[in-house]
Amino acid sequence: MKINKIIVSFISAAVILLSTSVVSFAKVVGDKIVLGAAISLTGKYSSNGVHTQNGYNMAVDRINSMGGVKVGGKTYKFDIIYYDDESNPKRAAQLAERLISQDGVEFMLGPYSSGLTKAIAPVTEKYGVPMVEANGASRSLFTKGYKYLFAVLAPANLYLDVAIDLAVEKNNGKPVTVAMAFEQDAFSQDVRLGVLEAIERTGSKQVIDDKLPKELNDMAATLVKVKQMKPDVLVVSGHTKGALTAIRQISEMKVDVPMLAMTHCDAAKLSKQHGKNSQYALCASQWHKTLTYKDDFFKDGMTYDADFTKEFGYAPPYQAAESSAALLVFKDAFERANSFDQKKVRDALAATNMQTFYGNIKFAEGGQNVDKPMVLFQVMCDDGGKCENKVVAPTKWASAKLIHPIPSWSQR
Amino acid sequence: MNKNNLILYIGILSFGIAAPFLFPAFKVQLSILCVLIILATTWNIQGGEMGYNSFGNILFYGLGMYLCASVQVGMFFPLAEWTESGGEKTFVHTPAQFFQGMAVGLLVAAVVPTIVAGLIGYSILGLRGHYFAICTLGLGVAAGEISGGIEIIGAGQGFTTPPFPDVGNLESRGEFFYFLSFIVLILTFIAVRGIYSTRFKLILNAIRDNEDKAEAMGIQTMKYKIVGWMISAFFCGLAGGIMGGLVGYIDSTDVAFDGREMGVFMVLMAILGGKGTLWGPIIGATVFHIFKEGFWTFFLGWQYVALGVLIVVIVIYFPEGIMGWLREKYPERFGEVVDEKDRKAQVELK
Repeated sequence: MKINKIIVSFISAAVILLSTSVVSFAKVVGDKIVLGAAISLTGKYSSNGVHTQNGYNMAVDRINSMGGVKVGGKTYKFDIIYYDDESNPKRAAQLAERLISQDGVEFMLGPYSSGLTKAIAPVTEKYGVPMVEANGASRSLFTKGYKYLFAVLAPANLYLDVAIDLAVEKNNGKPVTVAMAFEQDAFSQDVRLGVLEAIERTGSKQVIDDKLPKELNDMAATLVKVKQMKPDVLVVSGHTKGALTAIRQISEMKVDVPMLAMTHCDAAKLSKQHGKNSQYALCASQWHKTLTYKDDFFKDGMTYDADFTKEFGYAPPYQAAESSAALLVFKDAFERANSFDQKKVRDALAATNMQTFYGNIKFAEGGQNVDKPMVLFQVMCDDGGKCENKVVAPTKWASAKLIHPIPSWSQR
Repeated sequence: MNKNNLILYIGILSFGIAAPFLFPAFKVQLSILCVLIILATTWNIQGGEMGYNSFGNILFYGLGMYLCASVQVGMFFPLAEWTESGGEKTFVHTPAQFFQGMAVGLLVAAVVPTIVAGLIGYSILGLRGHYFAICTLGLGVAAGEISGGIEIIGAGQGFTTPPFPDVGNLESRGEFFYFLSFIVLILTFIAVRGIYSTRFKLILNAIRDNEDKAEAMGIQTMKYKIVGWMISAFFCGLAGGIMGGLVGYIDSTDVAFDGREMGVFMVLMAILGGKGTLWGPIIGATVFHIFKEGFWTFFLGWQYVALGVLIVVIVIYFPEGIMGWLREKYPERFGEVVDEKDRKAQVELK
């Protein structure tokens, strides 16, 4: 059989291709500290993936231009190797493996979303590669006993429970009825658990508990139910698409609900895309530009906002801010460890206690940031139709008063 | 088996065994390649030999993945507590537990999908052509949505499979999964090759070429169609079980019932290599995987465009796949007798 020859030549071609594609980097080349990151440049998380990447790049440029990282008396600069994980956990795990075993990366930055972080964490843990992540908030990430995972953000269950408390408070301390609609993914389901706990704590009642599909484009069925049941609070979480879909359909169907609590409003640029239709939406956020935290690199939130807008042409959502903060944490840890030994850097990371423009950062045993509360902002529009996000809770940071209940569509 | 064949098989086998040591950094990609070849080869039983374009094989793959992980956890720990998202407890498998669990898990991952294939096959293999394709397309989508709602396997939160225990060195995990997938690949190959050398393959071909005629000849086509699908399900389930452990995290629609990627890839690979041949899917999967990994490295952000171009090129220039193209070009190498006069006459006609 001559066909064997053909097959053999195919296999040898494959071998040659494989061997030529070995490109080797080292973690510290010359004066560069090479970090690895799998980012969702395509797929359902692509918009947030880009926010994350912009946040990383912004911080890399800033730190490099302001003197870099000083370790052992030498100055180093940050560099990041990016891959596209296509918003797919399987791909993300593969890429983490690839970054570590093929590209020789010894320090990692996180991907976007809890699901992808969940897929990457076992890999970084296996190789003992410290990973500072800024976009994986699911609580189950922090209960697996991971030693090399550090998250600069507050866990997902704290996103919207405050909203329930707020609704109860506005209802003179009496329990409220809550309608919930959450996407079927790791992050949103964790937000749901937090809301459920708050419902139980306040003695409130859930009247709708819908699971929405990924790639969320339609939630009309849920909204019809909301129209019928007239709950006091409607909670929606489904990343950027969820926020956009909710506002689009609520305004189309003229659904009246006293309080609408959501996630990802700023990442979805709601106030810009939907203008007045998004008015009064209450949104959970890790960060807001008016918060008064400070650091040496970005000064404060307002300056970060201005610099970021100048560089990328849009206002930074919190996903970008927290991603920038991840690099500040890495820089701080490298300098304190004064070494590139992975164990020493890991220990230095664990001992982090610092303030950045994004907030205070201090890691608990499980790796989550325990020193930074969530904020809630409300979309508020002036008569000219210009909308802005204003922090309404907690009171310490509030720059505006919560408008409650939301006026009905007939009065708007 | 003739001498040339033997040399070829020994060559591939020794390459397979040496590969993880020759390319230690590529162990994961090599394991995935093995899984892809298994999927393409088993899809070929339906799509290539039997002429039934199934998009439903992903169902067995995902089912195997969830089953293997669930059994591996459930044998030693309460599954509900493992998958509970806010769970405070950390369970750790001892090495013995991990491997025992994996072994039993893989067994279940192979057997249950086979049974499921039998049951579903009985009801839907009566459909033909486009109707069958659309129906099976629905199977994978439905399974993804349903499993995304089952709390005990993590629902939308996903399912973290047991981490590899602390045995050997850093390389052990990669080597374990590579050899596991390589062994299953060999088993698949032996099984499929065995089947293709029997009357069974001829019956499948008869179904493809003219099902009514085959039936009129007294062949119980339904029986053979179901058995063929069960064989595919058996190996797809195994492949899924391995992939779950390899990835370490199971998501209902993105990893397990990943019809959009794996489900389509298995069809593409078989077509690229040449469906209806033994070696076609294997070559197709290898070429596809290498191209894909290359695109993902060198065309970052454009990888799907590049992949799209590849698909277009395949469809236009190699409609019969690589094997089909080779067969047309060098028919004598495939053992076909070519009449020189006839060939000349054809050339003149052109």
